[in-house]
Amino acid sequence: MSVGTTHGVHRRRTPSRERSTRLPPLGRGRRRDRLGWREARVALLFILPCLLLFAAFRFGPAAAGAILAFTDYTIGADTHWVGLDNLRRLVDDPLFWKALRNTVYYAVLTVPLSIAVALSMALLVRRAFLGYKIFRSIFFLPVVTSLVLAGIVFTWVFSPGGPWSSLMGALGLPDKSWLTDPVLVIPALVVVAIWTRFGFGMLILLARMQDIPRELEEAALVDGASAYQRFRYIVLPELYPALFFLVIIETTFSFQVFDTVYVMTGGGPANASYMLVFQLYDQGFRYFDFGYASAIGLALFLMTFVVAMIQRLTLGRDR
Amino acid sequence: MRNRKVFPATVALALSMALVTACGGDDDSTGSNGGGGTGQGGADIEGSVTMWTYPVIADDAEHRAFWDDMIKAFNKEYPNVDVTVEIFPWADRDQALSTAIAGNSAPDVVYLIPDQLPGYARNIEPIDEYLSEEAKSDYLPNAIDAVTIDGKMMGAPILASAVPLTCNKAIFGKVGQEEYPATWEDLRAMAPAFDAAGYDMIAYPGDVSQTLNLTFYPLLWQAGGDVFTEDGSAVAFNGPEGVKALEFLKEMVDAGYVAEDTLTTNPPIEQTTLAKGEVACEWSTEPLNLVEFWGEENVVVLPPLTDVKQVAYGTVGSLSMLSSAEDKEAAGAWIAFVTDAKQAAKYDEASGFLPVKKSVGSLYADDPIQGEVEKYTDLTTVGPLHPAAREVMGVLAPEIQAVLIGEKEPKQALDDAARAAEPLLR
Repeated sequence: MSVGTTHGVHRRRTPSRERSTRLPPLGRGRRRDRLGWREARVALLFILPCLLLFAAFRFGPAAAGAILAFTDYTIGADTHWVGLDNLRRLVDDPLFWKALRNTVYYAVLTVPLSIAVALSMALLVRRAFLGYKIFRSIFFLPVVTSLVLAGIVFTWVFSPGGPWSSLMGALGLPDKSWLTDPVLVIPALVVVAIWTRFGFGMLILLARMQDIPRELEEAALVDGASAYQRFRYIVLPELYPALFFLVIIETTFSFQVFDTVYVMTGGGPANASYMLVFQLYDQGFRYFDFGYASAIGLALFLMTFVVAMIQRLTLGRDR
Repeated sequence: MRNRKVFPATVALALSMALVTACGGDDDSTGSNGGGGTGQGGADIEGSVTMWTYPVIADDAEHRAFWDDMIKAFNKEYPNVDVTVEIFPWADRDQALSTAIAGNSAPDVVYLIPDQLPGYARNIEPIDEYLSEEAKSDYLPNAIDAVTIDGKMMGAPILASAVPLTCNKAIFGKVGQEEYPATWEDLRAMAPAFDAAGYDMIAYPGDVSQTLNLTFYPLLWQAGGDVFTEDGSAVAFNGPEGVKALEFLKEMVDAGYVAEDTLTTNPPIEQTTLAKGEVACEWSTEPLNLVEFWGEENVVVLPPLTDVKQVAYGTVGSLSMLSSAEDKEAAGAWIAFVTDAKQAAKYDEASGFLPVKKSVGSLYADDPIQGEVEKYTDLTTVGPLHPAAREVMGVLAPEIQAVLIGEKEPKQALDDAARAAEPLLR
């Protein structure tokens, strides 16, 4: 099994069956087992605070949310077990399917585009040149910018007569506001998502690129490989694990989009940008139907989990 | 937090003292209202009260100081009640309150408007028995109606607002239009001249986060329609009146007479054409809030528009006690004290809102803006007090948007919304 490349040398992990042919004497092995168990216990002790915090503030609420999906929980009323009623309601709810379509469409546009932009920017600032550190910092700035703030600024950018409309007009395209158009509203949100997310991807890819030995590319250069060939056959294969990580993370983030939609479109026009998390928010905090909101959350979790598994099976094999 | 047990003799003494205080003619005393229904004297009531309110007075320091003074005045009469007033932002207030209720960390008293009451009705302690008969009979009838659910007062009104028609005098001057609109027909007739001069006739905040009480419902009511049937068992907005209202709005939008920037989105007000002084008239913003953008001299407050009825939206702010309050007598006394005519009038004046007590009369007779607004309070309605009112808005608002962007016809959109609303009413 390949465990990565270090300075061009592929190392193989010794399979356990091979190791078993050279087992140490029994007494020494037992001692080592005891030592291993003791080390494991110490390690467990060290990570116990984190585990407890995770259980209390992540796993606990998530599990409680999953249970609520099977109840009619609302504020100040008795809670009843309703079985699959909320999930049946979900299946019959046209708004849920609309939100699901919108969310998937948004993710399908956002994930590849944001990774493509991240990759392009990482390649741009990969080599040292005058002021490259400043550029890296500037490109990362949107990641640490509040999404609400970004939403407010981009609402102005996409407003009628705003910079985006003016740009479209100058290019001879219709200069209407993208946020008021049911077809263009999701692409507008995708633009914002790319702007706010590419810096994170760039950082991950840049870190991975720094580990690629320069000798490999230099050797290829001597052999007459073009810039594209060096990228395609040397850099890109080394980036696969990082790219796979980004695909999973970006997909999850895209499925969970809320802030910018809340600030910029409110799910409109005419529900054209209504997303799953927005519906969850509406049901929970506008209508206090926490049972149904939890059912939407459960559906979202299952969807994210299944997509991540598919991605792992297709893209992430052997990575 | 505890209530001291009150023995019958103490109750009799307290009642006597309350009666003496009530009949004493001391103008500074609010004891007649304080704990009005409890029959207890101020010193007999003890405990702690936490109240959540919002920036009703826009200036935070001024608002804070107001409540500090109010607490001091209250403690003169109720020295054993510890009151804490917390001021939260308007934004996401339902989210904060609902999570607090769910987490058993809710306040004892909270500021709510009628639109919110049905959603929290299960968590509210009716306030009737904590207010004296005198205090209740002093309320304007529509203020009582606005907070009454199933015959019980879900809050004690403290202020009111009205949102009639407001027009920009400067724009009317530039267009050379001397008359202001009074009916839908007037808007239709005037709009082309404003359009030709580069102005929008009206603004319509169509973003789904906006309450329809301030946007579409006034048109629906003016056309003679309503949101729900009289018994509340079905929606009624898709009747001929609703279709007429939406057709009117669509007609104005299609002709380019409505500000485009707020039709489906909700930009910060300072970025809007309304704030920039490019919109002639609107009925969704309280006139006072337009002063900083248009200038006081250009804010013209007019009667609500008329089609077959003359009506506008107005709200009633009230203080509700949550049923989780541990010291209910103390919370009731606090609510009774601050909603007493004299104290409430101070709050109304400081915040620029309208009084809800008959005995207060007019607060703004000399104010050119609020004085006008005050005249139209009897032409306002607080909107539907229906448990599903908010959910229905949630399904109706996107359908109205669909009409405004040309995706659906009014009748089809309203029928679709009515179908989507059906399961919400079961």
